[in-house]
Amino acid sequence: MSKKKSMSRRSFIGKSAAGLSSVAFSSALMEMLLSSTGCKSGPGGASGVSDLILPEDVLAKAVSHLMAKGADFGDVYVERAAMDSVMSDDRKINTTTTIAKGVGLRAVKGGRTFYAYTGSFEPERVYETARYVADAAAAPASASAPSVITLSPLASGLSFPIKPMPSDLAVDQKIALFKTLSDRAWSADPRIVQAIQLLREIIRQVNIATSSGKIVKQTLGLTEFMAQTYVKGADGQLQAAMDQRGAYAGRDFFTGENAFEKVVDAAAAKAVKLLEAVDSPRGVFPVVLGPGMNGVLFHESCGHGMEGDLVFKGSNYKDQIGKQTAAKGVTLIDDGTIESYPGSYAFDDEATPSERTVLIEDGIQRNYLCDIIYGEKLKMKSTGNGRRQSFRYPPIPRMRNTFIEKGPIPAADIIAGTKRGIYVADVSGGGQVDVITGNFMMGVGEGYLIEKGKITKPIKGATISGMGIEAMKSIDLVGDDLKMFPSAGRCGKMQTAPVGFGMPTIRVRNILVGGKGEAWTDIEGGK
Amino acid sequence: MNFKKEYLDIARFAVERAKKAGAGGAAVSAEAYVNDTESIQVTVNARAVEQMSAVKEAGIGVRVLRDGKMAFGSTNDLSRDAVGGMVDGLVKKVVFHTADEFNIIPSKDDGALAADRLGYEDLGSYDPRVAEVPVQEKTQTALRMEAAGLGFSPKIAGSMMAVYQDGTSYVYLANSSGISGWFRQSGCGGGVEFTAAEGESRESGSFTKGVVKWADFDAEEVGRKAAENAVSMLGAKPIASAEMPMVVSPEIGTQIFSFIADMLSADSVQKGRSLFAEKVGTEVASKGFTLIDDGRLKGGMSTAPVDGEGVATQTTPLIVDGVLKTYLYDCYTARKGKAKSTGNHTRSGYGSAGGIGTTNLYLKPGDAAPEAIFAGIDRGFYLTVVLGLFAAIDAASGDFSIPSAGFMIEKGKKTNPVRGVTIGGNIFELLKAVDKVGNDLTWFQSLGSPTFSVSSVKIGGSGK
Repeated sequence: MSKKKSMSRRSFIGKSAAGLSSVAFSSALMEMLLSSTGCKSGPGGASGVSDLILPEDVLAKAVSHLMAKGADFGDVYVERAAMDSVMSDDRKINTTTTIAKGVGLRAVKGGRTFYAYTGSFEPERVYETARYVADAAAAPASASAPSVITLSPLASGLSFPIKPMPSDLAVDQKIALFKTLSDRAWSADPRIVQAIQLLREIIRQVNIATSSGKIVKQTLGLTEFMAQTYVKGADGQLQAAMDQRGAYAGRDFFTGENAFEKVVDAAAAKAVKLLEAVDSPRGVFPVVLGPGMNGVLFHESCGHGMEGDLVFKGSNYKDQIGKQTAAKGVTLIDDGTIESYPGSYAFDDEATPSERTVLIEDGIQRNYLCDIIYGEKLKMKSTGNGRRQSFRYPPIPRMRNTFIEKGPIPAADIIAGTKRGIYVADVSGGGQVDVITGNFMMGVGEGYLIEKGKITKPIKGATISGMGIEAMKSIDLVGDDLKMFPSAGRCGKMQTAPVGFGMPTIRVRNILVGGKGEAWTDIEGGK
Repeated sequence: MNFKKEYLDIARFAVERAKKAGAGGAAVSAEAYVNDTESIQVTVNARAVEQMSAVKEAGIGVRVLRDGKMAFGSTNDLSRDAVGGMVDGLVKKVVFHTADEFNIIPSKDDGALAADRLGYEDLGSYDPRVAEVPVQEKTQTALRMEAAGLGFSPKIAGSMMAVYQDGTSYVYLANSSGISGWFRQSGCGGGVEFTAAEGESRESGSFTKGVVKWADFDAEEVGRKAAENAVSMLGAKPIASAEMPMVVSPEIGTQIFSFIADMLSADSVQKGRSLFAEKVGTEVASKGFTLIDDGRLKGGMSTAPVDGEGVATQTTPLIVDGVLKTYLYDCYTARKGKAKSTGNHTRSGYGSAGGIGTTNLYLKPGDAAPEAIFAGIDRGFYLTVVLGLFAAIDAASGDFSIPSAGFMIEKGKKTNPVRGVTIGGNIFELLKAVDKVGNDLTWFQSLGSPTFSVSSVKIGGSGK
């Protein structure tokens, strides 16, 4: 499941550093982790554990060591994380547990980043690692006097309570919950041959101290749920579908249409539908994208190209500020402040407050997504997009919750106004982008033919691909039904990051659709 | 990096602790896997270092088995207190898990190997130089890699990504069946992506290469090949939808086989998730198609004496002359399927309980020179770039429509670059349509493929 979601050609040597590839913890361990330094998971959720992991003087001294050889900027990132997963696979329910802790140390000199981490919280080990990084960053024969760093805590109005704390529910109760979900999945249809459900609960307690004197303390509680169902038709044909949700919140977030039961039902319903599906037509023709999670298409097709590091190196969005990069009427936003959404946080991983960033306004490029380093290189400000997977990685510019703002047209009119094309309900097939050319691709999970203004047969095996800016300029109708989607699908760009998406119903007038079905050469699909 | 006895000791401690924690009740078996790693990553851009990252980490993953129930936990705190506490927690909670009669901590009868004091057999998968070479030299290597590409052609506009990365890993294994041992692996390599520009045309090209030994890494070659890939795509245009023969480059071949290998896992098959189920002994590919997984390949990137649960690795022909011979097994699926483990329990680090994975997987080369494969095609497509392959193939049905780029083949020769097309079909039909296999086996990390051709594919495109 995860492989399909986040295969990235940018991670190419699998066997080097140990990764946090699989996850989890037990509630007893969680308690142990939090209580080991006097932190208690109080009933208020996040607030109860937002304390310093290492004493302030240790943090300050570590930053001083980092800066002692003339670095321009430095920060210390202290993290401890407890991860618990419950999985039902083949009706077998098991849990796994992971505890990880470490301190990441970064020094920046002349726009270059030097990074190392230690798994130890021993002050001497932290200082030693800081000195190693400072030495690596030192320009030949340059040494300035070590400065005394004074740290002052930052406060934010944003907080995402974790209710309940994962540790408040015992293992046997979690397994009982999964028994119910697993039975529900298996009984949804007689053609079901396999079903998987996975719940991941991750608590990360983070302290950041920077050479500009900031200290940030935050506790992030990420909950992710995924369901995948396989069905077999009478003709032996096998089909699979999945659905998922994720949020910086406890399990209480997952109610209504985000309920685990709804996710399980949706995975089964989509898979069953695929048994009746026809092969997708191929060629260039109109595609109507349904609201919500399809926003991932714009995350891939243009969001990546607007990330500061890639802009700096020459993505297809370089030098586009003030220029038209999408059709008039299209507004694209990256928002890190939506409560509990997977791309939301009070501060990013280099202590910059999060914000709502307008990237494209009515078709015109207004901004890029920057961290401190690329903000400086591009002579722009950090937009609070400096994120890291864990203490093992230095921060890089990443998206948060990326969505297209709603437009004026009733969604039903968009479908009714399309003579021939496809309707994509869910592009859950995963995707990839080449940011130099802007070429992107997305697999379609749930799609239908549009014939004479009506949604008709389900299709299978469709992919959508094209050039980001061309596709954005080809949007001719934007619906009024904006829907946000709290996704559990993580974005992979050397490191993984939880991200959210959203969009209203929109139509792309012309885009390349791949499929096994007939070649459509008639591109007169519109009104 | 060195062998550290204390890590073998902590692995044995974890196993003993699990047995002790279960005393008085049903017997507990356990397995501990300690992984000690070192890694350097250097990213360069525009002939300067952009980022240098140094990593040292060790951690432990423990599996405990009681009454047919299995639990897994891991931590990077290797103090006896932390490991002991975690193990106690696993023994406590495992009673709530689902019993599965096939769960197993392998013993000698299951193929598990105990090592002598010097550790497991050395199969040439480790080079001490990888960890010893100073970081300054690695930085220079990364810079040379990028420079070789930047200097390849005036049409190269810049690099998007140029990364040198290496890793050294020591694995320490112990279990309650009396198995224990250790082995080591290393790897280093680089990946570059360049932008090429000419007139209105902007194209990208990338290349990556990983090897076991420091001396075998040719940084300039990686840079040049990435640049050549970018420049050769300049002026690429879509073509019109059509059906035609296709030649597949070794790099794309390896990506396709990596996908197929997932479906050849006994786990996928037993859980009804693979269309290769009940196909052993039948023809699943064309006559010239032989796919091999070789965990003992001398000097292979994924070569190791034992797999992730201590079972001896082996050479496993999966498909021979088009006929499916076996699936890939670990001890759990072997027990369930009344087969023997093929030594394919794979772990991606101490934090992973593991699952079935390939070791060194390759398509056996044939007799044809690549030029001869092209020569036989009057009008065809040469596939060299795919986007989102894993998203574009439906694992359940095998149907695919893969956004692709490459070149036209006209009158036996590679001609104009092509972009903005999709190739559509079904992976099982594709395997049966392989008609020529080249003699140019090329390795990309632990996956290998020669050039090969397919008699016909559907191409979807917007061109004229």
